[in-house]
Amino acid sequence: MLDLNIDIRLQRGSFPVEMAVRITEPVSGVFGHSGSGKTTLLHCIAGLVKPDSGHMKLNGEIFFDVAKKQFTPPHKRHIGLVFQDAQLFPHLSVLNNLLYGYRRLKPTQRRFELGPVVELLEIGPLLERRPGQLSGGEKQRVALGRALLYSPQLLLLDEPLAALDGRLKRQILPFLRRVRDVGIPMLYVSHALDEILYLTQTVTLVDHGQIVGHGSCLDALAKADSTELADGLDLRNVWEVTILENNRQHGFSVAALGKQRIILPPALASEGKTAIVSVRAAQIALSRQRIEGITIQNQLPGRILRIISRRHGALVEIDAGVVVVAEVNGKTVGDLNLREGDGVYCLIKAQSVEYPDG
Amino acid sequence: MTLTPEEISALYLSAKVSAWATMLSCPLAIAMGWVLARKQFFGKPLVDALFHLPLVLPPPVPGYLLLMSFGNQGGIGRWLNEHWGFSLAFNWKGATLAAAVMSFPLMLGPVRLSFKLIGSQLEDAARTLGANPWSVFFTVTLPLALPGILSGTLLAFSRSLGEFGATITFVGNIEGETRTLPLAIYTAKNLPDGEDMALRLIILSLVLAFGALLANDWLARHVERRLGMK
Repeated sequence: MLDLNIDIRLQRGSFPVEMAVRITEPVSGVFGHSGSGKTTLLHCIAGLVKPDSGHMKLNGEIFFDVAKKQFTPPHKRHIGLVFQDAQLFPHLSVLNNLLYGYRRLKPTQRRFELGPVVELLEIGPLLERRPGQLSGGEKQRVALGRALLYSPQLLLLDEPLAALDGRLKRQILPFLRRVRDVGIPMLYVSHALDEILYLTQTVTLVDHGQIVGHGSCLDALAKADSTELADGLDLRNVWEVTILENNRQHGFSVAALGKQRIILPPALASEGKTAIVSVRAAQIALSRQRIEGITIQNQLPGRILRIISRRHGALVEIDAGVVVVAEVNGKTVGDLNLREGDGVYCLIKAQSVEYPDG
Repeated sequence: MTLTPEEISALYLSAKVSAWATMLSCPLAIAMGWVLARKQFFGKPLVDALFHLPLVLPPPVPGYLLLMSFGNQGGIGRWLNEHWGFSLAFNWKGATLAAAVMSFPLMLGPVRLSFKLIGSQLEDAARTLGANPWSVFFTVTLPLALPGILSGTLLAFSRSLGEFGATITFVGNIEGETRTLPLAIYTAKNLPDGEDMALRLIILSLVLAFGALLANDWLARHVERRLGMK
């Protein structure tokens, strides 16, 4: 359960920050370009930065209210924060880093114990080491564990993958999903939309110190369509599929996506297991009818839910058992006379399907 | 070489005065260093300058000022004597105060710098893990500043060993009370046939100084290893 209500104003450097949003979804992302004020928002929520005016409430408890002269310092808020570069204490062992917050809790407040968290994040062999002896990915896993063991009522993640290279990112993503699934409300800040969409469909959009949209990714984008933020987005579909067949001879896999079957590049997961796949919205083409004699193997029938026009094209949301978002040229929407409720086929090349964490 | 009772007395007094001066300065330097590194307040440059004055003044000047305020005729000195029966005049306690005042800026510098260099993000991490401000200071800030504190402590200790001008002005040159090694060397040098004695004391000073430096080096490496900096 989460009910975060923020309405704050402050001066940060050269531009004013004015942010108001109510977040009730247990897991959501905060998306914006570098320097847009995302980190400021996070630091205000954690209590590390005191806004000039406004108020903030978390789960009914007032943490900040200028009118009532109220400000709760960070150590009394019980909000965890995972930093971009882990910020492990260099003078403490991994074990003592993990237990730093845990030891400050009353036994009744502890929702997680060391053993299961160490197992969840696979950091058992690291416990006796110093942070200086860890790789970037290991540090970030320890930082996640340290925040989890503090059993926060809200976990803030500030670009936890930004300092890692592509290979390490893929390795850490599944751990973020595991942390998400233990049931702690999460706010995930990133300038990479694909990371957010991997965890949740709910997004708060931040631009130039203001919140310009909140809700499901498409809703938020629909509201914020005039800003440059929405224009440059690399929107992705992220689906969970069940692998049905791994055809090693011909190098492809077949998976169940909702009630449909989809052909994928060879999966790492074995048959019967689930996998996360992602497809860029711009890689999906739409067709009025099934096309024969074409190399595109996936043609998923569906129905158009809505069409969102943008400056450089249109986003088409389709119900094909799962929700599919295709980004198409604005002209083709008119040429094909696409309307809400129409039946279409989503054309997806198998090779355009990626495994973000594989 | 065996030491004469006078030499032993000077050596022991030097060690005692320097150790006390350093121990008393240390908590104050940590507090002041932290305040100067982290806080902005009105008159900060003035406070900063005041603590650094002993570094740039001719040593007899602070010595004389100490005599005027902490001597038996001085305002603070008389008050201490009347109310607490505590006298700093012409005894080793006065020598300790002189050494502490003179060496304080040397301790303050490294301490303050090391507080400045500790990223506030590590402290923020501690705060978001439920640590109150005191806890943050004692579990994160202070341990990480330890190398700087150590190096400041050594500088101050070494400076105290060599303290001469302020001491002789404030508490005089009394054998067994205030005659530390530098004062003993000065005294021996002024005796008609004190050349040998002065040389012996100089060798003693060299040994002591080297010992202090080597001990610090070992300690610094030990601490840095413990802090995971190496």
